[in-house]
Amino acid sequence: MNTYTAKTPIPENEIGGGESLSMAPYTGPWTKAQAAHLLRRTVFGPSKQQIEDAVANGMNATVDTLLTLPAETLPVTYSPDEAVSSIGNTWINDYMPATNQQPTITARILSLFGWINQELFNPTLSIKEKMTLFWQNHFAATNDNEPRMAYDYVMLLRNSCLGNFRQLVKDMTINPQMLVFLNGTTNNKFSPNENYARELLELYTIGKGPQIADGDYTNYTEHDIAEIAKIMTGWIVENYLAESGSLVTSNFYDILHDPTTKQLSEKFNDAVIQDAGDAEYAQLIDIIFQQDEVARHICRKLYRWFVNYDLTPIVNSTIIEEMADVLIANDYEIEPVMDMLLRSEHFYDIALRGTIIKNPIEYATSMYKSTKSEMSYGVVSTYEIYNIFGFLTGDIGMSYFAPPQVAGWTAYYQQPGFSQMWINAAMIKKRVEYSWFALYNGVEATNGDKYPIDVLGLLNSFDFPADDIEVIRELEVLFCCKPLSAAQRTFLANTLNANFGSAVWAGAYNNYIADPSDQQNADIVANQMRVTLLNLFKMPEFHII
Amino acid sequence: MKRRDFVRNTSIGAIGVPFALNGIQMNTVLKKLFSYSKTAEDRVLVLIRLNGGNDGLNTIIPLDQYDNLVIQRNNIIIPQNQVISLGTNYLGMHPIMTGMADMFSNGKLSIIQNVGYEQQNRSHFKSMDIWTTGNVNSNSATGWLGRYFDSYNPNFPNGYPNANYPHPFAISMGYEVSTTCQGIVSNYSLAVQDPSNHTDLGTNISNPETSYYGTHLAFIESVINQSNEYGVHVADSVDAGNTLSTLYDPDNRLAMQLRSVAQMISGGLKTKVYILNVNGFDTHDGQVVQGDSTSGFHTSLLKTLSDAIHAFQDDLALLGIEERVLGMTFSEFGRQIASNASYGTDHGDAAPLFVFGSCIDAPIIGDNPEILDQVVNQKGIDVQYDFRDVYASILHDWFQTPESEVQAMFEHQVSLLPIARSCNGPAGLTDNLLEKTGTYCYPNPCKDATTIVFVSKSESVTLSIVDMNGRIVRNIFQKNLAQQEHHVVVSTNDLDAGNYFYVIEKPSGSIKGRFQKVDI
Repeated sequence: MNTYTAKTPIPENEIGGGESLSMAPYTGPWTKAQAAHLLRRTVFGPSKQQIEDAVANGMNATVDTLLTLPAETLPVTYSPDEAVSSIGNTWINDYMPATNQQPTITARILSLFGWINQELFNPTLSIKEKMTLFWQNHFAATNDNEPRMAYDYVMLLRNSCLGNFRQLVKDMTINPQMLVFLNGTTNNKFSPNENYARELLELYTIGKGPQIADGDYTNYTEHDIAEIAKIMTGWIVENYLAESGSLVTSNFYDILHDPTTKQLSEKFNDAVIQDAGDAEYAQLIDIIFQQDEVARHICRKLYRWFVNYDLTPIVNSTIIEEMADVLIANDYEIEPVMDMLLRSEHFYDIALRGTIIKNPIEYATSMYKSTKSEMSYGVVSTYEIYNIFGFLTGDIGMSYFAPPQVAGWTAYYQQPGFSQMWINAAMIKKRVEYSWFALYNGVEATNGDKYPIDVLGLLNSFDFPADDIEVIRELEVLFCCKPLSAAQRTFLANTLNANFGSAVWAGAYNNYIADPSDQQNADIVANQMRVTLLNLFKMPEFHII
Repeated sequence: MKRRDFVRNTSIGAIGVPFALNGIQMNTVLKKLFSYSKTAEDRVLVLIRLNGGNDGLNTIIPLDQYDNLVIQRNNIIIPQNQVISLGTNYLGMHPIMTGMADMFSNGKLSIIQNVGYEQQNRSHFKSMDIWTTGNVNSNSATGWLGRYFDSYNPNFPNGYPNANYPHPFAISMGYEVSTTCQGIVSNYSLAVQDPSNHTDLGTNISNPETSYYGTHLAFIESVINQSNEYGVHVADSVDAGNTLSTLYDPDNRLAMQLRSVAQMISGGLKTKVYILNVNGFDTHDGQVVQGDSTSGFHTSLLKTLSDAIHAFQDDLALLGIEERVLGMTFSEFGRQIASNASYGTDHGDAAPLFVFGSCIDAPIIGDNPEILDQVVNQKGIDVQYDFRDVYASILHDWFQTPESEVQAMFEHQVSLLPIARSCNGPAGLTDNLLEKTGTYCYPNPCKDATTIVFVSKSESVTLSIVDMNGRIVRNIFQKNLAQQEHHVVVSTNDLDAGNYFYVIEKPSGSIKGRFQKVDI
């Protein structure tokens, strides 16, 4: 039971307030601190090498790289329960078996889950994974029954992640998973269903403003919702779990469509949409996107995801306005907005360092990825391990593909706590247990293949691993967005050398490195790294980026 | 004569105590029978870890081989006339340890000599691991106290704290939980920072930021504190507890931590184990000051230790909780017999450790180590008692854990030592203990007399001395005895030197034990 009491938001004049409001390109120092900040916000668990490369390459080249999207991989079959595809091959174009479908459904859903969690570990430096998760949170449609439909849905997010937002909304409107999720498939002229219409306005595009009259939400009205529901009629999903070769598709049927003329409210300039069949939804979206508030709404969401929860009046009137201007000027292409944001003075302002508590996926990946812990097992173990990894992040509050409500994860919208929503007495315990588990056991496949945090690999990657003070300094650079106190550094160094002093640590490390095959020496050094990392992972500082 | 022979053959209860026990009041041991706490439930164990490897030879000095000590470690040896006499002329204590010497003379300090393990690992990390886990051979996942707690808390930590166990099982004073308390699933110790020092690990201490970052830190910090259900009980016990001794030195960190421990115990905290640490014993150089071996790093560490334990014991007595607490020191190894050129010593092997409390069995357990008359490179003290047997005996005697359960916690064949059996007193003996409590005699080898210790029910007992041919050489007595533990002093000065048996015949079971009479 969550015993957390709501945080009182500190008035904006008391914190921050001094941060730069300039979206002009950042010209300040470009050191590990700034580079690591950029990477922690745009990538899951950046490694020491990635941070150092970013410093060497400079801010601009690094942002260019981040905005490049790497090639896709495909989810592959790994479970023998799969009836059609074979282990090691992808199932995305395969039909479903005619009978006893459930085992194949489960096998493919787990394959998809393993695949998306594996994508989090892609070593290529790119914003793609964080953008995908952002869109998953924004268009929070869930489906754990039709795997090909689920794949199609997430690929829409991935392919569009830095692309045209207007087009994404159009594509999402008739995406089979979204149609099923928000009852688009049962919205027809005989019985309209307003579910999608409501969320389209409230969540996905223009956002709800203050309620200024009965049924009037400043940006749209209840009447708009009703009209939009009619506009959306006629779409159904076909080949759901079909055993033929056809993929799941959304198709338009005139017979189900409401052909009457629809008129929106004055919020949309009383726009009229004549009967145009399957073209109506796109026209509607064009009309919605004529309102600049759409740009502000999505920019606020991007801001909360990448910068800070606190949309103060001044931030709204400066930063958000500038971001929205760029979005509109670029015909709703997302990339130019991210481009400006990630190069801006505002983004690198020290007052905005450490504004976000890591979500569970950030938390878990930062332990594995930042330490460059790798594994190379066969398909079965690999997928099992990534599945379990995904279950564990779910256990600490965030399962990929499963936002708990249509508005997404609470940390991104719930006043006043926002990212503090990830932390309560139960969850903090689980995070600590998880870090202990990851260090001392690691995620484990059925056949016993394990994926622990590679403490020795991490240690050996440091410049001066025999120097306990240096080791702690490197860990701090890697994991902490702001400096630790001297007392904390001393505590960690004393943990590493077990209170035996620096010389003893140096001796132990040198003994190990002189013959790394000597298990006893390796174990000594590895154990000290583990207990040190555990102490670091337990610190509040580690939970913040 | 060979003093090591009986090590391998040590059977339950048969210990070796040096023969020259002049001045040690054997009846002080009997006194302790009346100063015990009846129930194991109330009992607390205090472990003090000496981090770095304590130099046993300058702590407990084997005076009977002082000349050889001069040959081995002349540049650091304590002047003979400054060694504190412990009422015997064959060993003494470092001069700075006046507090613990005082406890020794009051029968509250037990010195167990030559504790270690075979095939010593001289790596700090590895050996400390061995000592804290109580496992020599395997990479142990659990600590010896963790296994003890696991033995009656199979579901821990699920469902804890609860009405039966509302308080932490163990407290590790400091920032770290203790490896000794690592259970299969979770660690039984709660890390409690020194309550007199309010610095908090989690936040940027001196200047909490008024920033988004600072508010997140403070928030997470508060949730962590909330999630610690034990924390409130610890704080309450500190409030409810008391401090009565005036001997604590505020600059002595160990003393102040022990003061907090006494306070928590007196305040009603039901925690069973407290673990404390003293750093700095790795005295490779500057162990003593050149020209003044009674000063230096080692001396200040021993002063810290002795003063703190002395103040603690004083406080426990004043608080009226002395019978509830047993303490023990341990270190990952002793140091080499020979000193080095830097006025220090290097990693060695076995060393003495201390057990303290109001009901310890024997003031000294074990022989003096053998000090050769020439330096053997890198030689340490040979092991006489396996440290795991010390642990096992404490679990058995102090926490009244049945022997079979104790054996299950250790990899080796456990050999129980009489460390704190007096704590279970005559009236506190259960049938279980009657069976399990061993029979022994001390001193063995003996010269003029030896005391035979055994337990009987209320029955007729015959005690005799028998030679190696089975002939009775002495009839000591045949009489009705009460159900209790008996200490019978037997004169041996008219026996010829050699090996004998004492034979105890009684309806509840006859017992025979071997001892040796020597002339010199």
